[in-house]
Amino acid sequence: MTAPTVTPTTSASVPAPAPAGRRRKRKPRVLVNVLAVVFCLIWVFPIYWMVNTAFKPADEVTTLTPIWLPLRPTLENFTRALTQDGFLVYLRNSAIVVVAAVLLSIVVGFLASAALSRFRFRGRRAILVAILFVQMIPSGALLIPLFLSFQTLGLLNSYIGLILAYVASVLPFSIWVMRGFFVAVPVEIEEAAKVDGAGTFRILWSVLFPLVMPGVIATSVFAFIAAWNDYLTAYVMLKDQGMYTLPVWLAGFSTNKGTDFGGLMAASVLFSIPVVVFFLIVQRRLVSGMTAGAVKG
Amino acid sequence: MTSTAERVPGSAQAEPGTRHGPAGRGAGGGRRSVPRGGRGSGRGPGRRSVTSSRAPLVLLAPAALLLLALVVYPLVRLLVISFQDYGLRAIFTGQAGFAGFSNYTNVLTDASFWPVILRTVLVTGAMVVGTIGIGMAVSQMLTRLGVVMRTVVSVVLVLAWAMPNVASSLVWQWLFQPFYGVLNWLITQLGVFGDHTQDNWASSPGQALTIVLTLVIWQAVPFVALTLYAAQSQIAPEYYEAGALDGASAWSMYRAITLPALVPTLLLVTILSVIWDFNVFNQIWLLTKGGPEDTTLTLGIWTFVKSFVSNAYGQGAAIAVISTLILGALTSYYIRRLVRSGEEDL
Repeated sequence: MTAPTVTPTTSASVPAPAPAGRRRKRKPRVLVNVLAVVFCLIWVFPIYWMVNTAFKPADEVTTLTPIWLPLRPTLENFTRALTQDGFLVYLRNSAIVVVAAVLLSIVVGFLASAALSRFRFRGRRAILVAILFVQMIPSGALLIPLFLSFQTLGLLNSYIGLILAYVASVLPFSIWVMRGFFVAVPVEIEEAAKVDGAGTFRILWSVLFPLVMPGVIATSVFAFIAAWNDYLTAYVMLKDQGMYTLPVWLAGFSTNKGTDFGGLMAASVLFSIPVVVFFLIVQRRLVSGMTAGAVKG
Repeated sequence: MTSTAERVPGSAQAEPGTRHGPAGRGAGGGRRSVPRGGRGSGRGPGRRSVTSSRAPLVLLAPAALLLLALVVYPLVRLLVISFQDYGLRAIFTGQAGFAGFSNYTNVLTDASFWPVILRTVLVTGAMVVGTIGIGMAVSQMLTRLGVVMRTVVSVVLVLAWAMPNVASSLVWQWLFQPFYGVLNWLITQLGVFGDHTQDNWASSPGQALTIVLTLVIWQAVPFVALTLYAAQSQIAPEYYEAGALDGASAWSMYRAITLPALVPTLLLVTILSVIWDFNVFNQIWLLTKGGPEDTTLTLGIWTFVKSFVSNAYGQGAAIAVISTLILGALTSYYIRRLVRSGEEDL
């Protein structure tokens, strides 16, 4: 990348070493490209093998010598995964729980992060440190008391219980990340609105909200992915198969179906697609969002 | 330092705050208070809290209620349970007797205790070292690639990163199946290690950890590599040009220019990796369930097994408390740094 800028300057000032430098640049270029190809092959292999298996008929899946591309590509694995044992029920369960948890966390978290970024008040710093600290607690640690409380309250095996459990893990994270986006908005904008006579909530809604909207969307997507991928909490809280979410169903797929790896891989593909699509959309913000506030607090 | 700060929305704003006016740090706070704060009016720190209206409390109330009920109360209860005789009977009767330190002594004298602690720390260390090492190499590789190849590598990284870990665990099960697993076949084809086609990785004590490690590292490298690359691409090219003029080798330039610039980001991704890898659950549970012969039994798995398989919630809670303390100790340096930097920016 730096090569084009480097060579002209060096050749201008010091004529002799420039060609040598260029020649030296060439060789590593080949080497680094070979390395990149090898890296890509290794890293993409599991994904390739998942997709490859998903499109194979049963007799091509379990072979002693691997078949690198489906000889007779088929969708039967997908139709089997979709039609058998209530995929749509689990999809609905997942969708209800995840969407509700994300909506609740984002709305409540939006208000809280506004308070924590745009106001100064006693205890603000303590709250921020606590929110940061909460994210370091192992998820399993929270699960035991939540499980026992929900048992008493009759919230196990219910949408509400799982939604609340997800809010417990997603809300602190959402507040933290959204606060980062809030602080990025210059204060002058609000001050202008204030001078024009707008009240606190008016400013929040009409001025700040549109400005932090991209951040809110990105945070929602992170929250969605976290809740959508959760296995442990749902596995503990849900006993009734009709309440299963997709990860619980997927993880049980292999034990229920023996070695139906074609169906299993097709189900894995179906489960991964929404996450991968979301990921590709927000990947850039994800890198900055996850590190937001963590580098400097 | 600034190179990373500019990338990150969360920290970028801390800088503009100071850039705006000559007023200095004390006023920086007052400037942010929306409803009343006149900007740069030189309010002292003492007055700041007085100036706030009820608005922030109203805004905070819903989140505070939810977090008190769903995080603070459960954490207190976790601590309480760890001192209670909380088993199946307690679940049915709703009454749990006080057990003193017996949960802790039971856990501490358990034959698995020290092996599990040691294993968790070592496994976490191996995952973190593997992830950071490969991540640094890939990040450096990305800076040397042309646009096309760099895009290809980035897409591959994002795909691996995006895979839900339940799905990737199942893919790993399939890759390492005895007889039909494609990796067993590939390893056998290499001809170096002998015939591995019948290996059942997940149930052989010497091999189970390998598939857990490869899975976690495979999935963790993309975040580290892309984050490091983002930081690396912020380093001004002039440094390297000067280095090239001085005839510095690529390696010495990496050590003298790149590494120092990467330190803050490296510290961040290392700490995040420690937290994440210490808490890995899904991958281990879905591949090996902590077995065979406990060779993949980590603190996370042990907590789960004690509480939700053996229904010894008191002991499970004790292990969870101990895990939290260990993780706290491992990350204390970072937390202290954060809290200290918070003196200025939080």
